[in-house]
Amino acid sequence: MAKRMVCLVLTIAALVLAACGPQRTPTGPVELTMMMWGDPAELTVWRQIVADFEAANPGIRVNVEVSDWDSYWTKLKTMLAGGTPPDVFAIDAPLYPDYQSRGVLLNLQPYIDAEPQVLEGLYPITLEAYKTPEGYFGLPRDFQTIVVFYNKDMFDAAGIPYPQPGWTYDDLREIAKRLTKDTNGDGIIDQYGFYADLWDMELIWSEAIWAYGGDILSPDHSRTLINSPEARQVWKLFYDMIFVDHSWPDTTTAAEYGGDPFLAGAAAMTTIGHWVVPGYAEAGFRWDVAPMPRGPAGQATSVNSAGFVIAKATKHPDEAWKFLKFVLSADGQKRLAELGFACPVLRSVAESPAFLDQPVKVNHRVFLDSLQFARMKPVFKGYEEWSAVVGDGLAPVWAGEAELDPTLDAVVAEADKVLAANR
Amino acid sequence: MEYGLRPLGREKIWLWLLLAPTLVGLIFGAFGSVLATTGLSLMEWDLLTPPTWAGLRNYVELFTNERFLRSLSNTVKFSAMYVPGVVVLSLFVAVLLNRPIRGVSLFRTCYFLPCVTSAVATALVWNLIYGKDTGVLNYLLTRLGLRPVCWLCTENALYSVVVVNIWGAIGEGMIVFLAGLTAIPREYYEAAEIDGANRVQQFFRITLPLITPSIFFQTLISTINAFQAYDYIYMLTRRAGGESTVPVVVFSIYRNAWHFSNYGGASAQAIELTVIVAALMALYFWLEKRFVVYE
Amino acid sequence: MGKRAQKRLLDLVTYTWLAAGAVLMVLPFLWMISTSFKPPAQQFSKSLIPDPPTLRNYIELFSYRDIHFPILFLNSTLISGLITVGQLLTCAMGAFCFAVVRFKGRDLLFTALLLTLLIPFHVTLIPQFIIFKALHLVGQRAPLWGTVPLWLPAFWGGAFGTFLLRQYFLTIPRDLVDAARVDGASLPQIFWRVYLPLAKPALAALAIFTFQGAWNDLLHPLIYMPAAPNTTLTVGLSLFQTQMAHGGKFTVLMAGAFVSILPLVLVFFFAQRQFIQGIALTGVKR
Repeated sequence: MAKRMVCLVLTIAALVLAACGPQRTPTGPVELTMMMWGDPAELTVWRQIVADFEAANPGIRVNVEVSDWDSYWTKLKTMLAGGTPPDVFAIDAPLYPDYQSRGVLLNLQPYIDAEPQVLEGLYPITLEAYKTPEGYFGLPRDFQTIVVFYNKDMFDAAGIPYPQPGWTYDDLREIAKRLTKDTNGDGIIDQYGFYADLWDMELIWSEAIWAYGGDILSPDHSRTLINSPEARQVWKLFYDMIFVDHSWPDTTTAAEYGGDPFLAGAAAMTTIGHWVVPGYAEAGFRWDVAPMPRGPAGQATSVNSAGFVIAKATKHPDEAWKFLKFVLSADGQKRLAELGFACPVLRSVAESPAFLDQPVKVNHRVFLDSLQFARMKPVFKGYEEWSAVVGDGLAPVWAGEAELDPTLDAVVAEADKVLAANR
Repeated sequence: MEYGLRPLGREKIWLWLLLAPTLVGLIFGAFGSVLATTGLSLMEWDLLTPPTWAGLRNYVELFTNERFLRSLSNTVKFSAMYVPGVVVLSLFVAVLLNRPIRGVSLFRTCYFLPCVTSAVATALVWNLIYGKDTGVLNYLLTRLGLRPVCWLCTENALYSVVVVNIWGAIGEGMIVFLAGLTAIPREYYEAAEIDGANRVQQFFRITLPLITPSIFFQTLISTINAFQAYDYIYMLTRRAGGESTVPVVVFSIYRNAWHFSNYGGASAQAIELTVIVAALMALYFWLEKRFVVYE
Repeated sequence: MGKRAQKRLLDLVTYTWLAAGAVLMVLPFLWMISTSFKPPAQQFSKSLIPDPPTLRNYIELFSYRDIHFPILFLNSTLISGLITVGQLLTCAMGAFCFAVVRFKGRDLLFTALLLTLLIPFHVTLIPQFIIFKALHLVGQRAPLWGTVPLWLPAFWGGAFGTFLLRQYFLTIPRDLVDAARVDGASLPQIFWRVYLPLAKPALAALAIFTFQGAWNDLLHPLIYMPAAPNTTLTVGLSLFQTQMAHGGKFTVLMAGAFVSILPLVLVFFFAQRQFIQGIALTGVKR
């Protein structure tokens, strides 16, 4: 019996050995590991980009490792903590300072100084997030601007013209009110005029606060400004849309629609970025996009980027830099554009048919034109905890369980503590 | 303690051989989890730069950290409902399934199903059931002429979540109790029947006392699971951006460790949780000595 | 009331309760299966019957050329199988010592073992990773070494399994041990010939728990194995979750969830026969 057990164990061990893929020879080409978050479609595209890169650079092999968003950060942090980071990895711009300030990223400035043409033709605003006094420690690979998505079927059914450039937040509120309906007369609203997620600043509230003349943080990142008089106008507007007009579902209701009432066909408008386009393409209704509305202080949207960085601990910095350059080249950017999730950072590709004439036929130019009035999503150390304090703190308000003004003041006080702790 | 077989002479070697894997695991486990976590709880560590000494600061902060205290209170309330719920219901199901009836395999599989699925997939289905405006439950309530309830709003979310967690754990408890029930010799029941004891009396006089080792095990494991419950709670109570209406301690630990660059603080919270559960465990063991019947 | 009638009534009550409970337990799965056959546009429809039913979610699931389901499946099966074998063997060995043998420091050791259960794994992940790294077992691309951190711990026992089996061993009548002793059986003989055969129901329970836990484990394979495609089914399917966040595709996720639990349901369905066997051993006479 014991012998049989041992045999079984050894057999299974041998099978595991056999199952886990071909053994790689220790000598030979330089091997890079590239890690990023994404989904199966992105994995496929990045494998193509890597194949193109390997064809152009014999002697370098890149292992692409893709995980879902939550898993990605857990894996990345464990590997960094254990001292075995991947050579190249993806970063979300707001999180970049947390890594950069802790010295785990390679300074790319010497490479950029040697080949300054790499940055030519990139949208300048997308570079801002990565700039530090010592130079660049990372570069963007694609960007996202926030625009308004609207359900054409619902607008047509109500006989309301589609949102036009130059429309205002007051128009938004008015249209949302008119599009809110109880279609079957059971006393429960089943079509809302508008929905946007209020946890993260990126989806609506930073844009609106800017459009009303306020700001999110003081320039030195020491104070939270979201309780200024301008910002309070914005919060009041949202609050009234949710609890007075009922044209915007509260968070508990939104959760019933999988967190996205627009996609579920229960909200006529939403504000979000290009990353939803492939998913929305399968929605059972017609939709298009429009620029963000204007506020008293003008029009504003938020621009954020995903980028790549190189680990300081890499054994192959030169090869890793070559790969980064390739991602920013026209060939690499074109492949990314085909993926349809994000906007290319290379202007020539963004304004080419590769991006503008994607299989999903909507007005993709709106995403690029929005850059004219876009502001960078704030990027600072301690961003994650700060946004949790603000997002969690205000959440009871949006669920209808807390009062707006006192909650806002308490949240700002706590958020400032986080800023102080991260100076 | 008194029970047990004394190893004879050279059998001592066999004892240590049989125990060897556990001892290796203990050295590794104790070192890898208990000691390392205790050590890190005395440090300040953001995972990326070398840890620095913090002394007891992380622990002191716990007592003033309102978010942590709120999560601790949620965890305690959750456990107080979850543990008895799981133990009683799964024992009930196991006793029913231990009778010789048709379709027993199918029933057992049904009850165990929730244990094999990922919480991610089932939690969304529960969201559809609990929905305020469109949910199945409120649809039924309104049909009965009752007022709809906001199941996942802050005032009810804890109870709704307890229900789902119990639902997900009945299968495991059922298996433990079934294994225990099969160990009870049939002769005991036959003897009781001759004495004229009815089913209820049989249950309380024979089944319950003889299954106390399983009850003890299941209560202890459920307590540990309750204090570490996370998946369903998070999936059902999260609002956008990773916030939760019912934050529990493990949620707080997870966020501090992985999102707020506060591994030291997370470790201190974990140690505090461990101390609480260990205290409960000591209580259970004390009760075990008094009430648990071993053969 | 006659005995037959009493039994009939008892059966009726049993069936009613069991059936009602089973419906509650299974309903969410029916929903999951039904959603996996719905077109994506109807992902939140409230009807249980897909209209029209479609296979496109499954086709999409299996169409990604960089996610090889056979490899994921094989990896999951082998790793979970190895972990289960390791746990059954070593936990039974430890549990036997704790339950049956008298030795110094037994209770202290047992308490220490249980303490390791109490720390949430979120904080032990990194210390563990660092230890394995110090042992040069991390980041090895060579196949066998790459998965060592996943299954090796299964071969040094574990608090849960040891505890579960110890509790069961404690209920096995001690006269059996004494009888074996009289026949001159040694410690390991008593373990193999008396305890293991009698503990089949408990071993089956532990096998199910262990296999299921290893199968659904996301974090450890995530950290110790390279990402898709050379990983486990659970990690591979988690990729679709990101896609869900991108909008749409909930139907595909449900198809994936169904694919991933199917093997477990089958394993359970067959493993639980062990219980029936257990009942047969102790003798059902009614």
